[in-house]
Amino acid sequence: MARSEKAKPREKASGTSEHVQMDALAYSSRMLHWPPLGKLLLVIAVLIVNIMTESVITSLVVMALGLILMAYSTNMRIPFILGIFIAEAILILVIACGIISINGDTSQPCIWSADFLWMDFYMTADSFNEAWLVMIRAIAGITMMMAFATSTPIPHLAQALRQIRIPDEICEIIVLIYRYAFLLLERLDTMWSAASSRLGFTGFKHTMRTTASIAVGIFTSSMNLADKAQVSLECRGYRGYFPIWNRPKKTGIGWVAIAVVTFALLYILGIYTGGVIDFAGLAFGV
Amino acid sequence: MNGSVIDTEKLTFYYEGNDKASLNEVDIHIRRGVKTVILGANGAGKSTLFYHLNGVYRPSSGKVMFEGEPISYRRKALRSLRSRVSVVLQNPDDQIFGQTVESDVAYGPMNLRLPEEEVKERVETALRTVGLTDLRDRNTFKLSYGQRKRLALAGALAMKPEVLVMDEPTAGLDPQMALELMELAEQLHHSGTTVVISTHDVDLAYAWADEIHVLRYGRLIFSGTSEEFYRDPVQVYMTGVVQPSMFLINKSLCDMRGIEEAPYPRTESQLVSKMASGEKGRFLIMPVADRMDSYMLDAAVDEVGGSIKVGLYGSRSRSLLYESGLPVDYVFDGFESCMADCLMGKDVLLLCDESCLDLIGSKLDRLRDFGTDVRAKVMDPSKN
Amino acid sequence: MDFKYILEARDVTYSYEKKEGSPKSLSEVSLGIRPGIRTVILGANGAGKSTLFYHFNGVFRPKSGEVLYRGIPLCYDKEVLYQLREDISVVVQNPDEQIFSSTVEEDVAFGPMNQNLHPSIVEGRIADSLFKVGMEDYRYRPTTQLSFGQKKRVAIAGALAMEPKVLILDEPTAGLDPQMSQEVMEMVDRLCLGGTTVVISTHDVDLAYAWADEIHVLRHGRLIFSGVPEDFFSDKESVALSGLALPHTFSVNRSLEGIRGLPEAPYPRTNSQLLAKLSPPEARFGRIMIRGIGDGTPVPEDDGLTRGIYGFRTRRMFRDNGCRADIYFNAVEGCCLSAMQGRDTVLFCDEELVDVIAGRIRSVSEFGRIPEVVL
Repeated sequence: MARSEKAKPREKASGTSEHVQMDALAYSSRMLHWPPLGKLLLVIAVLIVNIMTESVITSLVVMALGLILMAYSTNMRIPFILGIFIAEAILILVIACGIISINGDTSQPCIWSADFLWMDFYMTADSFNEAWLVMIRAIAGITMMMAFATSTPIPHLAQALRQIRIPDEICEIIVLIYRYAFLLLERLDTMWSAASSRLGFTGFKHTMRTTASIAVGIFTSSMNLADKAQVSLECRGYRGYFPIWNRPKKTGIGWVAIAVVTFALLYILGIYTGGVIDFAGLAFGV
Repeated sequence: MNGSVIDTEKLTFYYEGNDKASLNEVDIHIRRGVKTVILGANGAGKSTLFYHLNGVYRPSSGKVMFEGEPISYRRKALRSLRSRVSVVLQNPDDQIFGQTVESDVAYGPMNLRLPEEEVKERVETALRTVGLTDLRDRNTFKLSYGQRKRLALAGALAMKPEVLVMDEPTAGLDPQMALELMELAEQLHHSGTTVVISTHDVDLAYAWADEIHVLRYGRLIFSGTSEEFYRDPVQVYMTGVVQPSMFLINKSLCDMRGIEEAPYPRTESQLVSKMASGEKGRFLIMPVADRMDSYMLDAAVDEVGGSIKVGLYGSRSRSLLYESGLPVDYVFDGFESCMADCLMGKDVLLLCDESCLDLIGSKLDRLRDFGTDVRAKVMDPSKN
Repeated sequence: MDFKYILEARDVTYSYEKKEGSPKSLSEVSLGIRPGIRTVILGANGAGKSTLFYHFNGVFRPKSGEVLYRGIPLCYDKEVLYQLREDISVVVQNPDEQIFSSTVEEDVAFGPMNQNLHPSIVEGRIADSLFKVGMEDYRYRPTTQLSFGQKKRVAIAGALAMEPKVLILDEPTAGLDPQMSQEVMEMVDRLCLGGTTVVISTHDVDLAYAWADEIHVLRHGRLIFSGVPEDFFSDKESVALSGLALPHTFSVNRSLEGIRGLPEAPYPRTNSQLLAKLSPPEARFGRIMIRGIGDGTPVPEDDGLTRGIYGFRTRRMFRDNGCRADIYFNAVEGCCLSAMQGRDTVLFCDEELVDVIAGRIRSVSEFGRIPEVVL
């Protein structure tokens, strides 16, 4: 008969979709307790410098920084699905940069050209370098933003926005949307499984019909939810604005300093290292 | 011993991105024609298990077998599996896809690509079984919660499943609706469908189940009869449930009186039969085919020569009652209510579906184990 | 101020649609809720229970008739309504509809913050109400990651944080598993003992019967009964027409006593009362020992007896020290049953509750022989 309350395992919360995973990831992040505004400032500073610079080296440094932060934030446990997202984004970039590289200025010396149907491909050293730069910049940007996303739950982001004087209403709407997104996603999951149980996805026609019904179901349930939430709000003494209990701590001057210094360092690095790596030279020996 | 219809072998399942197993090496055997309950607290993995039984989820490891053959996840095989194993969810709104009652029931059979005639017939049968025939053209948004719940059940029945899986069938229903739904489940079981119910309502589970499977945090911790499980209070506590009242009352009374706990009463009439005996009334049964008329009551009154309490059993009789407007005392839970009166010495008449006669007979037989031998008589429903 | 009812509805009529002659959700409902009396509003789905609740805190305004709080008709002026909702808290059935913030703490603070209280008071309220629902460890957790039972408790904590005079709970046990339901009901019970007037709406007849001092039954928006539960359940026809059923203890008692030719009264509402009534004279009972747990009480030694626990502080003490207990939920009832089955049983409870609980167990003697109570 002997047992203690501690022996009883905790209940678990359910959830399957990527949204839920992303959220869980952010809440378990090691960077969760960094001030959100600080993180936001840093990321924005780095992103700006990343776009301003003409140097591949700077972008590579940004990329490395993003990767390190992301690895630290997620404790090296990036969920599979997120990995796929990143890989997909990079693939699209590669294609896009491929296109940039073969649309070179025809007045410059050609390093590779071809005719395909009605299209003329013309690649120059400049266009080739340009494409690399754009791609590395973009990937650097993605890793940086990912580092932020995997460490900052949406409500924290809302707090950061509030600190930079975005109106409270907007911030609250962000939080409410965020909360209700979970409920609707959960319902979507259930309806999807229920439809498969009733063979709703056999063939194109049925799939279309089922999808439409599910959409209607989600829509009505969101309307219902809104209705009921309105009443519940009043029950809880709502006076027309959302009070905030846990006002985020003031982001220290230190964070501003970090952002400025990082910006300056990267910018200077960019000035001195512009054109140091010549991809065309590496690839074609031009 | 009935053979099993669905088995799982070391079934393990992880939700994506979740490193805790939602199901952990579950070996469950669901036997054909056995009233089965899957018991467990919220979040124990009941629903996750259900979606494996009809192939919507695919196990992370281990396998699921239908009639001894591992499930194939090829599209055609899945289609046939899902028409044989139907799942009814807790919240009916999650699985109503049609605009009108009729079109929603037809949704499943249409997806099966059955000929139109066949679809019509299935819709008809399913609606009649759940008693929604009159509302067939009603918009699904305009139904009450109880009606939507029955509609969801009709949608599953239209697939003519061999195994019907119901998730928390009585959750959120009023007591009467809940009784009606359980009566339906009983009838379906009797007509040869294997009915599996998942619930955390221990009283319901105790009254209904022949066999229970208990899940706790994704593990199957018990398979067998209810009493074996409830006898161990530690197990019961750890599972997040409590002992059913019937079990508790019987145990306490038997302890106090120093008598055997077995046979275990699961319904009120069984408990009462076991604990007290007195002069019993007469128990008349009248099967109803396609109409209900006042002469039926008169015949019964003549038979006993005095006043009589009238109860009702079965969905068909219930829908006939609304047409006929007969004065019936117990529209819901007819058998139990009539039996309670009968045990107290009153004469009763039970109007029931023709198809339920055997079912009533087996309930009466079961009562004999508890010391009650009711003088039951099946009356002839035809007018003479 | 002298008033008989803390909340009262007089001829309240309400319909969701504006048109004349549209179906009414409530028609001419008149009922009064007495302070400190455990009240249940009973009725099938769609009988108008929730609609009635929203009248009590002024969210809905009756089409005709009036609602009175402490004997004064409600004034539908904004500022007055805010005041009213601080006194009367409604917890809706589905916690997801009531949790607005992203962390537990933030959500519980929502109510007190709306009251413009001083931060130190808000802090106290948060800690106190989370303690009462046993969720203090979850204070900083995001609400999206809670299970259904935990969300329910957070929703209740959110209402408690406003320290209402009247707490109205819509289907408090719906969707909860049995232990969680008992835990919630114990919480409610504990609040009643603390002086809050609690009103519950439900269609769970067993729950209503075991808990309520007084019930009000609604059917299709009309009030059809007000009074003690037994009077209502004795009228089988009314019960059937209201979409309800008889509670187990009520019908078992009626059948058994009917067969034995004994009167149905006194009506047992719990299993222990039923068993006290049915117990044969030769049955050997164990004893029930009640031990109060105060702030300075040492951790009890394990003496091998069956142990039950009741109350916030006791629960916490047992948990923090990893003490053994056998009956965690519904312990007053559980310990009674355990003693009736012949085991000596110890019931640990919060110090100030010892007398109340002893009284409660002793009152079972109204039904028959009971185990000896030792303080």
